Amino acid sequence: MDSKIKLRSRTAAALTLAAGALLTGCAGGSQAPAAKDDGQPIEVWARAGTDAATTYAAMFKEFTAATGVQVNFQGVPDLDQQLQTRAASKKLPDIVINDSAALGNYTSQGYLQTIDKSAVAGGGTIAESLWKETQGLDGATYGVPFSRQTMVTMIRKDWREKLGLPVPTTQEELAKLATAFATQDPDGNGQADTYGMAVPGSTERGYLGWWASSYLWQDGGAYLKDEGDGKYSASASGAQQGVTWIKQQFCTPGNTQPGALTAATSVASPFFQTGKTGIILTGPYNFSSFDASLGKDKYEVIKTPKGTEDNTVLAEGENIYVTATNGKQDQTRQVIDFLVSAEGQKAGMTAGKQPVVRVPVNSDVDAAAVYNDPRWAVVQDALKNSSRSFPSAINFVPIKQAAAEALNKIVSDCGADNVASGLKDLDAAIDNELAGQNAKS
Amino acid sequence: MTSTPTKPTQPVSAQAPPRPHGPVPRRRVRGNRSQLLAIWLFLVPAALLGLYFKSIPMAEGIRLSFFKVQPFLGDVFVGVDNYLAVLTDARFMEALGHTVILGATQTLGALVVGFLLALLLEGQARSLWILRTTIFLPVVTALAVVGEIWRILYFPTADGPLNSILGWLGLGPLQFLNGTDTALWSIAVVGIWSGAPYNMVIILAGLTGVDRSLYESAGVDGATIWQRLRYITLPALRPSLVIVLTLAAIRSLRSFTEVYVLTGGGPAGSTEVWMTRMYSLGFQRNDIGVASAAAVLLLVVTLLLTVGTQVLAKRKAAR
Repeated sequence: MDSKIKLRSRTAAALTLAAGALLTGCAGGSQAPAAKDDGQPIEVWARAGTDAATTYAAMFKEFTAATGVQVNFQGVPDLDQQLQTRAASKKLPDIVINDSAALGNYTSQGYLQTIDKSAVAGGGTIAESLWKETQGLDGATYGVPFSRQTMVTMIRKDWREKLGLPVPTTQEELAKLATAFATQDPDGNGQADTYGMAVPGSTERGYLGWWASSYLWQDGGAYLKDEGDGKYSASASGAQQGVTWIKQQFCTPGNTQPGALTAATSVASPFFQTGKTGIILTGPYNFSSFDASLGKDKYEVIKTPKGTEDNTVLAEGENIYVTATNGKQDQTRQVIDFLVSAEGQKAGMTAGKQPVVRVPVNSDVDAAAVYNDPRWAVVQDALKNSSRSFPSAINFVPIKQAAAEALNKIVSDCGADNVASGLKDLDAAIDNELAGQNAKS
Repeated sequence: MTSTPTKPTQPVSAQAPPRPHGPVPRRRVRGNRSQLLAIWLFLVPAALLGLYFKSIPMAEGIRLSFFKVQPFLGDVFVGVDNYLAVLTDARFMEALGHTVILGATQTLGALVVGFLLALLLEGQARSLWILRTTIFLPVVTALAVVGEIWRILYFPTADGPLNSILGWLGLGPLQFLNGTDTALWSIAVVGIWSGAPYNMVIILAGLTGVDRSLYESAGVDGATIWQRLRYITLPALRPSLVIVLTLAAIRSLRSFTEVYVLTGGGPAGSTEVWMTRMYSLGFQRNDIGVASAAAVLLLVVTLLLTVGTQVLAKRKAAR
C-alpha cells in the first residue's frame, strides 16, 4: 500500500468513528422521561403468543364497541426484550399486561407509575390479598391484578385405574404412583417405556426452581422469608425435607422422565402429552393442548397431594401495569375499569381459543361456571385456599435461577449426601442477591 | 492468509517502474485522484453496512461494558466494576474452564477427524464426490437442528438410539447429556461431528496443492506411508492447518447453540460455557453491563489467540 493511501484510509477511519459516535448518540442523564399524550390511540402490550393475542384482540374489540375508545393492541411473545428497546427510545407503550412477577424488575427500572387503587371502579371486587401482590418495595401500588392461576397436578386416569391404584392424597402416594407407572407397564404395550412424572429439571430460565417451589412449601420449606417492610432473608436451609423428597424422585429410576435434569418445559410436557409419563404438575393453560392430544377423558386434574405440612401450590398471574410515559389518564382509567369488570374478565376467558384471564380476579365471576368445566373449580379452589406466590416486589428471577442451579446440583448427584450443604450454598447465593437488590433484612 | 516460504510472484508495487525524480506530472495526480475516488465510491456501500451492523454495535458493546445499563432511567458509569464482577464470579471461572476443555477437545478432534477424512476422500472419482457432499452435510445444517437430533440420539435409556448400539456391544446404557461426568464430552462429540467436515474441505484444498512428484520420488526412495505423511503432506499443509486451527479455536470459544440446545448449561452447571453464562446474565437477568464486559473479554481473548497463532505460524514459516 502506498503511504498516501494509508494516510487517507487512516483519516477515513477516524471520520467513520466520529460519525459512528454521532449516529449512536450519547445516552446521558438519569432522569425518567416525562409522561405525554401524543393524541394516538392508547397502546397496550401483552406477553402473548398468537392464540392469546387473538383473545386479547377480541376482548379489546368489545371494549372499543362499549366505550368508543380506540386501542392499539400488540401481542408480544418476547415482551421484556422489546420493552428494553422501547425503553431505550424513552417511549414505552402506555399499558403493559405481564406476569405479576415482573413488578420488581419494572419498578427497579423506573418503568411504572403508581396506581390509586381507590380510583379503580370494581377495585373492591378484587381480593385484598391480590392487591398486596402489586405493592412495590416502597409500599405503593404499581399494578392492577388481571388474572390468576395455580399449578395443578394432572394424572393419567386410565393408567391409574388399570393398575387399580387410588387417587394420591399425599406426596408419598404420589411417589408410589410414579414408580408404579414406571414399572408396571400401564399402557400395556409390553415395553418398559413409561415413566412417572414429567419434570422440567433444567436450570434454563430457572425452571427447576419454579417447579420445585410447590413441593418445598408443602413440606414447610421456602426459598425466602418475608421479614416485612420490603425486606427478605434466605431460608432455603429449612427446606431439607421437601428437597429430599424431590431428590428421591430424580434418583428413583423411572419416577421422572429420562433426561429430566436438562429438560425445559418445552421438552418435559411432550412426555405427558404423548403418553410417556403419567403425572405432571403444570399450569391450567395446558388443558386445551392436552385435551386435543390425549383426550379429555384420559387424564384427571386432582386436588394437589399433601406434604407433611399442607397442599400449597404455586400461584402466578398477570397484572396490568401503567407505564411512566403514559399521559392518557382518561383512556387508561377506562381500559383498566373494563379489564377488571365482570364483562371484561369474562371476555378474557371466552373471547378466543386460549383464555387470557385464567381464574378471574373479580370475585363476582365464577371460573368453573364460565368455562362450564369442573377442572377449573380445582384451580379456583386451590387459588383461594392453598396457594402461595413468589414475592413480586423484588426481582425474583435471579433467585429462581439460583434455586434452580442449586437444586439441579443436589439432585444430579444421587450418591452424595448433599442436601444440607447444597441448601446452605443456596442461602448464601440468595442473601447475596437480596443484598444486591437492597432487599436484605 | 499466511505466506508460503517460496513466493512465486512479487508484490505489484515492487514490479512497477521506479518513479522518476522531481515533481510528478499533473495528469498523473489527477488520474490518481479519480482512481482513488472510484475506489472509495465502490467501498462506500460495504463500508456503510459494516459500520452500521458491525462497528457501531461493537463500539456500543464496549461502551455498555463500563455502565450499569438501565435504558429508561439512563445508564450509570461504573468504571471497571462490570469487569471485576465477571473476573471474580466463580461461575464465570467454572464456565471458562469448561470453555477451554470443550474448545481444545473440539478443535483437536475436528482437526484430526477432518484430516483423516480428507486423506480418505481425496480424489476425482464421482463416488468420492458424492461421499464428500454427504459428509459435508452437517456443516450446512442449522446447529439448532443438529442439537435436537443429537438430543434424540443421546436419549439416556437403554432403548435410546446410541444406547441400543452400545447395548449390542454389551455396554451402557450411558447417561450422555444427563450425567455430570459425560455431558461435556457428549457435547464435544457433536461439535467434532459438525466441525470436522468443514476442516476436511479446507485440508482437501490444501492437499491438491501438494506436488505429486514428491510422493513418487519418495516412493522410489522407499519412504513408508508414515514418512510420506510426516515429511511431505504435513509440511505442505501448514498454511491450511493454521487457518483450520485459528478458525476452529475461535469457533469453539464462542460455542453457544449446541450447548444451549443440548443441555442449557446443565446438569449441575457441568456444561456451562462462557457464552451461555453471558446469555443468561444479559437476557435472563437483564444485566446487560456485566454481559457486555464478558463479551469484550471474549473479544480480547479471541484477538490474542488469532494474532498469536498467526505470529507463531509466520515465525515457523520464516525458519
